[in-house]
Amino acid sequence: MSGILSNLLVVELAAAPSGAFCAKLLADQGADCIKIEPPGQGDLARREPPFIGGEPHPDRSTAFLAFNTNKRGVTLDLAQAAGRQLLVRLVKEADVVIESFPPGVMERLAIGYEALKQVNPRLVLVSITYFGEDGPYSNYLGDDLIAQALGGYLYAVTGSADRPPMGTVLQQMEITAARNGAIAVMAALLHRETTGEGKHLDVSVMEAAISTPSGLIHPYSFTGRSPRRGGGDRNVMDGMHLPTRDGEVTLTTAGTGGRPMEVWAEFLQEPRLLDPKFASRQLRLENWEELRDLIAPKLAQWNNLDLMRETMARGLVIGLVQSPDQVVNSPHLAERGYFVELQHAEVGPLKYSGPGFLIDGANAMSALRAAPRLGEHNEEVYCGELGIPLEDLGRLRGAGVI
Amino acid sequence: MSTPGILAGIRVLTLEQVHSLPWGTSFLADLGAQVIRIESVDHLQDREAGPFPNNQRGEEWWNEGGNLAYYGTRNKQSLCLEVTTPKGKEVFLRLAKNSDVVTDNFRPGTMQRLGFDHASLAKINPRIITLSSTAYGHTGPWRRAGSRARTVDAACGMSFLTGYEGGPSQRASNNYMDHSTGNNVAYALLLAIYHRNRTGQGVRIDLAMQETGISCIGPAVLEAQRGITRPRVGCGHLWKSPHNVYPCRGTDRWIAISVWEDAQWTALQDVMNDPAWAADSRFQTTLGRWQHRRELDNLLGTWTATQDDRQLMRTLQERGICAGAILTAQDLVADPHMQGRHYMQEFENQAAPHIGTRVYAGRPFRMPGVNLTIRHVATLGQHNHEVLRDVAGLSNEEIEELAREGIISSTPKLGETAAESE
Repeated sequence: MSGILSNLLVVELAAAPSGAFCAKLLADQGADCIKIEPPGQGDLARREPPFIGGEPHPDRSTAFLAFNTNKRGVTLDLAQAAGRQLLVRLVKEADVVIESFPPGVMERLAIGYEALKQVNPRLVLVSITYFGEDGPYSNYLGDDLIAQALGGYLYAVTGSADRPPMGTVLQQMEITAARNGAIAVMAALLHRETTGEGKHLDVSVMEAAISTPSGLIHPYSFTGRSPRRGGGDRNVMDGMHLPTRDGEVTLTTAGTGGRPMEVWAEFLQEPRLLDPKFASRQLRLENWEELRDLIAPKLAQWNNLDLMRETMARGLVIGLVQSPDQVVNSPHLAERGYFVELQHAEVGPLKYSGPGFLIDGANAMSALRAAPRLGEHNEEVYCGELGIPLEDLGRLRGAGVI
Repeated sequence: MSTPGILAGIRVLTLEQVHSLPWGTSFLADLGAQVIRIESVDHLQDREAGPFPNNQRGEEWWNEGGNLAYYGTRNKQSLCLEVTTPKGKEVFLRLAKNSDVVTDNFRPGTMQRLGFDHASLAKINPRIITLSSTAYGHTGPWRRAGSRARTVDAACGMSFLTGYEGGPSQRASNNYMDHSTGNNVAYALLLAIYHRNRTGQGVRIDLAMQETGISCIGPAVLEAQRGITRPRVGCGHLWKSPHNVYPCRGTDRWIAISVWEDAQWTALQDVMNDPAWAADSRFQTTLGRWQHRRELDNLLGTWTATQDDRQLMRTLQERGICAGAILTAQDLVADPHMQGRHYMQEFENQAAPHIGTRVYAGRPFRMPGVNLTIRHVATLGQHNHEVLRDVAGLSNEEIEELAREGIISSTPKLGETAAESE
């Protein structure tokens, strides 16, 4: 099956990871995505370490490579009128435009929704910003950390109760905002099928952070207490990471039929787990160090993959704390065909994460191309598709428009 | 005025439990799909999960929990039908024949055992879209493994990367995987509907939480293949400093500050009234600040500890310094930006009037003209009659017989108590 979105043209003007990842989600399902970057430095993600091969290089940033698969890349200076004219020509043909500039930037450049709607009433414009298009913080500077802070995530979710707030890695609030954006885009496209109308979608990274934990706002409203970090502290059976011979594992009491200590005592061959002082969840929290010291040496005799196989066979539920390296080399994922190998002129072949679902048994990720090099498709897009003569392209290049 | 639901006319049957799948289908319900949640009196954990007012379960606890309203049966219908009984199966198949989408989050194999797998359903409904949401997918050696969001947080590589600087690994969240997976469910289903509109063809979607989680850490997946190890940095950064959380005046009050250019550092020095330590030559370049970040964090934290978190945020932002107070749920409900955005929803659940009006987080995106709020919350079995009559085409007599035989219900069994809870 060719990609589900292969009839779509997406133009990405993303200045932040949220927009880039949102566009990637569409591109990986077959949309033709043209990523527009400022000439010279390109997307700021090109400067983010680490780099494949070690040395900084605009085509070797892992953050850039990971979030820009299946896109074509062109450069365009939107500060110049000639650049904006080219943008409008692209937008005329586009189904979706994704941007992540601070609110008001597009309007100041006269390429805001109202202006773009004039040239393409069917356009779906997605604006992903840290704080949304309006409200008192809309002009604040943001990044993923600040979105985690203002979005309640830092206080409530990841860190330990007796330590400062601590959050997630690799810009998860931006990623979540991007997924929200992709849902909104699909809804808007379905709406357009019946009405012919486009829409302007307002996606906030801060709001992604707030709505993402199940228990933030309404638990406070029901109980009067703000959820606070530290849920995994002291919780040997349901939260802590414990070392194995070749890694770490996190246990659960699930699958034990309500007799967790009996079942785990038998599995680990450690009868002292049957001591009444571990008999309830509360008692296990109170005596957590003793409990950990009984369990840890037993787990240390296991290799991760053996432990997974044997617990699975008994219906017990554990989680291997896998390193990215173990994930990449996972036999399970290999059998699933999860990773997609893409060739890239600068960094060679690499395996990329799939979308997380198989469609009719096959990995649904389009495998057309790895991330574009800066301006890689200028000629193809501007000359081949917009019909600009090659000599004009040279003039535009000379003027710094592309 | 709202336009009619974008997904009006789309009917979703969902055999869903716990978190990720109910979260995913709630987006479709918001968008106007008829989402029929099929429940069982033997599995009411979600309705037992609360939260309840002041943690006290009321008389009709099964209709009163906050999670139900936030996503469980938000804008959905509830059909409490025992699908494992022969008659229940028959009814389910009649419903599936007249539906567009069937979703489940059973472990792999269960739908097949029940005769509800894609191939069986496609025989009676060739255009059917099915989606199974599981921890590890329907194929591969781990397919039978059970899970919690936390164990998949571990298995996908996320937990390994998460932790305080120099500290051990730590789960990122108890339910981030649920939400990411739920979001992916919504995206995949909308893709499938879009595809069917264009081609007339249904699809079978095998969606895995572990794989959704790995897609959240894409850069680390590439790094691992070339021997690059990503360190745990807490709230720190690979090159920015200051980039961390700093204590403020009061108990457990903090501010996050993120500086990425010299001009911001200069402005920050100015806000602090140019203390001598900040003029240290080691702190005058991005690289120098990062190399000496621990000392810088300590010195900066000593100053922020004298400041009010939200006042300091406003001051810093006015000076072009990226900063955000670390807000609690209570702070957010009263927050001027949230109020300015009309983000929170005050909702009174008509089906559970005595719990009163409660506040819920809104949807994280807005679409002009489309209402994405909680409109109603389905009580247990509320739509038994309506769904069986209108979708399965049963007569009143047949429906009453199912009720007499306990194949449909609208209250828990007598003496039902809380089961094993996470």
